[in-house]
Amino acid sequence: MKRTFYLEKDKCKGCTNCMRKCPTEAIRIVNGKAVIDDDKCINCGECIRVCPYNAYTSITDKIEDLQNHKYNIAIPSTTVYGQFALGTEICKIHNALIGLGFDYVYDESWAAELVTKAIRVKVNADKNIKPKISSNCPAMVRLIKIKYPGLIENIIEVEAPMEIAARLAIDKAQSIDKNLKKEDIGVFYISPCPAKTLSVKEPIGKDKSYINKVISLKEIYGDMVRELKMHDNMCYSNPSLTGLKWSISGGQTDACDFENSIAISGLENVIDVLEELELGKLDHIDYLEILSCNGGCVGGTYNFENPFVANSNIKHILKALKEDKPKNEFTEKFEELNKDGYFDIEIYKKIEEKKPNIKEAIEKMDRIEVIYEKLPKLDCGSCGAPTCKALAEDIEEGKKTIDDCVILKLEEK
Amino acid sequence: MKKIKSYSYRINKNDFINAGKVSSEIKKNLKKIGFTNKIIRKLAVISYEGEMNIIIHSEGGGIELEIYEDKISLNIRDIGPGIDDVELAMTEGYSTAPSEVRELGFGAGMGLPNINNCSDDFKIASSENGTKIESTIYLE
Repeated sequence: MKRTFYLEKDKCKGCTNCMRKCPTEAIRIVNGKAVIDDDKCINCGECIRVCPYNAYTSITDKIEDLQNHKYNIAIPSTTVYGQFALGTEICKIHNALIGLGFDYVYDESWAAELVTKAIRVKVNADKNIKPKISSNCPAMVRLIKIKYPGLIENIIEVEAPMEIAARLAIDKAQSIDKNLKKEDIGVFYISPCPAKTLSVKEPIGKDKSYINKVISLKEIYGDMVRELKMHDNMCYSNPSLTGLKWSISGGQTDACDFENSIAISGLENVIDVLEELELGKLDHIDYLEILSCNGGCVGGTYNFENPFVANSNIKHILKALKEDKPKNEFTEKFEELNKDGYFDIEIYKKIEEKKPNIKEAIEKMDRIEVIYEKLPKLDCGSCGAPTCKALAEDIEEGKKTIDDCVILKLEEK
Repeated sequence: MKKIKSYSYRINKNDFINAGKVSSEIKKNLKKIGFTNKIIRKLAVISYEGEMNIIIHSEGGGIELEIYEDKISLNIRDIGPGIDDVELAMTEGYSTAPSEVRELGFGAGMGLPNINNCSDDFKIASSENGTKIESTIYLE
């Protein structure tokens, strides 16, 4: 897997903060520096968030990339609306992007409302596997693939709002300017997190993203604040009430409105629930919204505002919004897109599962157990592995030795 | 066929604090060995229901996970009052769980039927001294 961030080794002190927080135990400290195992990394960005030395740097496209296209469209993530002072008009936020050089701004929330409809159709069409799990957070899809492969078929195979928005934005641009060719258009997503950034660079469930470039909100936030005024007289679309809810935890389940649903945000909480799901405890639930960041997408590491404040800002906008599109027209649009397969992606290809070599695997587990019994079980992390169990596994695989255990060494003296 | 390995887990009466720990541990071990998702899912459900039965209805007991070359067995045993009418207890929705247990969301009367549904082979023996369940899944 590609990653959308990297470690600046000079800044890394080997402090173990990221290693302890990593949900898939993908990080080890080797020779005093963090090393990420790409096979285990889900690009959730927890390491970026917890690093006290800001040693992780995001790989993001730049505003200079606008020069590469004749016509540039910005699609701000719905979370962007919650990042400015309370009461900031949506129109000004859109115009700030025009001020940065974009030719058009396309709102993501209407696409989220379309996807809401698509989810309802898909969930109601298949009641055999319950609960259906939201695929909106790419980090969570990757988490399930790596840590809970038995739940892959629970993931709902529906296209992400940002991708639908991109396709509709291109159509819109071409309807405004008939001479525009597809290759003239650059579609930029203003992203709240590394996970969504990666879903453009390396899409899940399809070959290519409809988005060309992804800029982290933090990268352009300062410039947006400076440009927060009207640049052309045009007001772009107001957000959709249903779609804007997607930016906060619980909003997606609220929008989809199934009889029984659960909304979970924050990696540790999600992991708890997935563990229970594997025990067959949640078969009565229709829909599970799982989001990697606390508070939902407003908690993404590329946002500027504190997630709780952003949540309050979003709710303030929601209160003022009315359903302002004629229902029929919207339903017709949905039917048309649905028929054309806009919402279909393929997340789980049928993979032949390998037959386990039971004997070998158990012998390995026994060897790990013998090593583990010698360790102090303090999970202090000083050896550069997140837990004593992980160290035991690393020793068995020959990646570390028992001498790496600092506690045992102290006891020897 | 030869037994490769067995693991034993103790479960205490009324121990809601640790409820689910044994089945999670069993699930974790099965994942590490690399059994297919389908098999892990079945065994996870069986061990969870078995674990809850021991916590709710018995005086305590345990689960033994036995791994053979061609099958996996879960032996769920407890000391306790036993089941008066096994056939009735196998009916979906039939429950003898006390109301305080039901208030916790357990005791919906699906425990034994769920175990039965997930098992390839299912044996149950109950007396006033306790209950023994032997559930087997064959490896394809």
